[in-house]
Amino acid sequence: MSSGSGSGSDASTDAAAASRAERALSVSNVDSGYGEAQVLSDLNLHVDRGEIVCLIGPNGAGKSTVLKTVFGLLKPWEGTVMLGDEDITGTDPEDLVRMGVGYVPQVDNVFGSLTIDENLRMGGVARKGGVDEVIRELYDRFPILDNKREAKARTLSGGQRQVLAFARALVMEPDVLLIDEPSAGLAPSIVEEVFEDVQTVNELGTAILMVEQNAREGLAISDRGYVLDQGTVAYEDDADGLLDNPEVSQLYLGGADYE
Amino acid sequence: MTLLVPLQGLNPVQFLVNGLVFSSVIVLASIGLSLVYSIADFANFAHGDTMTVGAFGALAAAGVLAPAMEGILVFGFPVWMFAALFVGMALAAVVVVATEFVIYRPLDTGSIELLITSIGVALAYRAVIFLGFGTDASRYGVPRAGPIPEIRETLNLAVTPRQVVAVVSAIVLVGALHVLLQYTTLGRKMRATADDPTLARVSGIRTREVIIAMWVIGGVLAAAGGVFLGLETLVRPRMGFDILLIVFAAVILGGIGSVYGAMLGGLVIGMLYELTPLFSMVGIPIGNEYAEAVAFVIMVVILLVRPQGIAGDAT
Repeated sequence: MSSGSGSGSDASTDAAAASRAERALSVSNVDSGYGEAQVLSDLNLHVDRGEIVCLIGPNGAGKSTVLKTVFGLLKPWEGTVMLGDEDITGTDPEDLVRMGVGYVPQVDNVFGSLTIDENLRMGGVARKGGVDEVIRELYDRFPILDNKREAKARTLSGGQRQVLAFARALVMEPDVLLIDEPSAGLAPSIVEEVFEDVQTVNELGTAILMVEQNAREGLAISDRGYVLDQGTVAYEDDADGLLDNPEVSQLYLGGADYE
Repeated sequence: MTLLVPLQGLNPVQFLVNGLVFSSVIVLASIGLSLVYSIADFANFAHGDTMTVGAFGALAAAGVLAPAMEGILVFGFPVWMFAALFVGMALAAVVVVATEFVIYRPLDTGSIELLITSIGVALAYRAVIFLGFGTDASRYGVPRAGPIPEIRETLNLAVTPRQVVAVVSAIVLVGALHVLLQYTTLGRKMRATADDPTLARVSGIRTREVIIAMWVIGGVLAAAGGVFLGLETLVRPRMGFDILLIVFAAVILGGIGSVYGAMLGGLVIGMLYELTPLFSMVGIPIGNEYAEAVAFVIMVVILLVRPQGIAGDAT
């Protein structure tokens, strides 16, 4: 987001106000965790409208926990989560879906015993009016699903499941979409397709916060990125900045080759 | 406890008929137990007593309705008994939903804790029944009708009108549940919630509402099973609890958590139970008093071969 080039303090205040108006999602001073075990501490991040933001970092840094906390699957211990200018701290997932937030979990992200068509219909239970129209559009966009409408989701390959999980979340046409490791367990050629889908959805107006283990590839399609380490933000920059940052590269990107 | 009509000329098919009646009771009871296991994630030991609640609800209603609706018959069966059946089903639904709101939901605890809690709930249901009806067995007072003459003459089978009512009602209820599960939004939400409750919430399904629907359906079907059991035998305060282990056997046999498995398991266990006398007919000295044991032994044998149950995990 370019934010004017004024040098005075007035200009920077204006820029701050302007960027606040553009915030799709902001997480401020959040602590969170499981039971007694704290995972996130004093976490701050935001996603602006129209952005793809990538969250990278080592295993156990708390990347998935960020998404779960934003989506109300975990209740923050401290801090606030804002959707636009609405406080959604600790709001239940089923309500967030109705407020325009979507979430694609990393694993267990399809109903295995339901058919593809039923999976998509479940994605639209909160939608006012019919779902037929939007589901038809999704079938057009993802022919892989169109061919298997009546197949049980458990019969799909990993890549197909990822597409179905993604499509399920899109039935609600969310303003903000949280995606947990879309590339996990997928062959490189399929990863590319999934990332293309992410970009397409973004171009249609959905802001995206994505956790990605495949840090370089994830950043390559993102506007900005955060490096999460030990439950807090270690680095933040636009995506190119992180990719070019020697420390980030050495500490968080270099290891990727050895995994 | 036996549902046997005295042997009529030793027609082995007679045992299948008796088995079908007992299976109807077990199938109706198994569905709710399986639904609660798959959606609310615990083994509900109060489910047998939910059957009893339904049976006694119908008993109380019968006392009021029988004089008022005297003499009106449907399929040769007094219409007040149908009305009493509906009252029993409704009462059981109200009781289990109230239990969800007052006990299970506020507790919001793990599977084992809920299991233990449900034993307490079972005792509470039974205590209230003891208070209201005492400890004695009762009858609905449906006039005893002999076997239907046409069936007896043509097929040499003793089938009473109440047995026909039980089996046909069970088939209708199971059919209705199938339609609900497969072809309605509520049914899809129930299957989705059973499949993955977290993903259900993530998709926007209000799982608490689904859980209420689950209790209503399970309670209504259990009550129907309780009433048919009471019609074939006696209405007793321990009737549901006594049968609960067999219902568990049916659910486990079918593949725990699978509704269709529970139906199949209920059918098989009910049949095995009533087919036990065939052993002595072919010279194996196992009397009817071992029916329960035989049913369990066969359940164990089947599970050794198919640990996931006969219906696998196909929900």
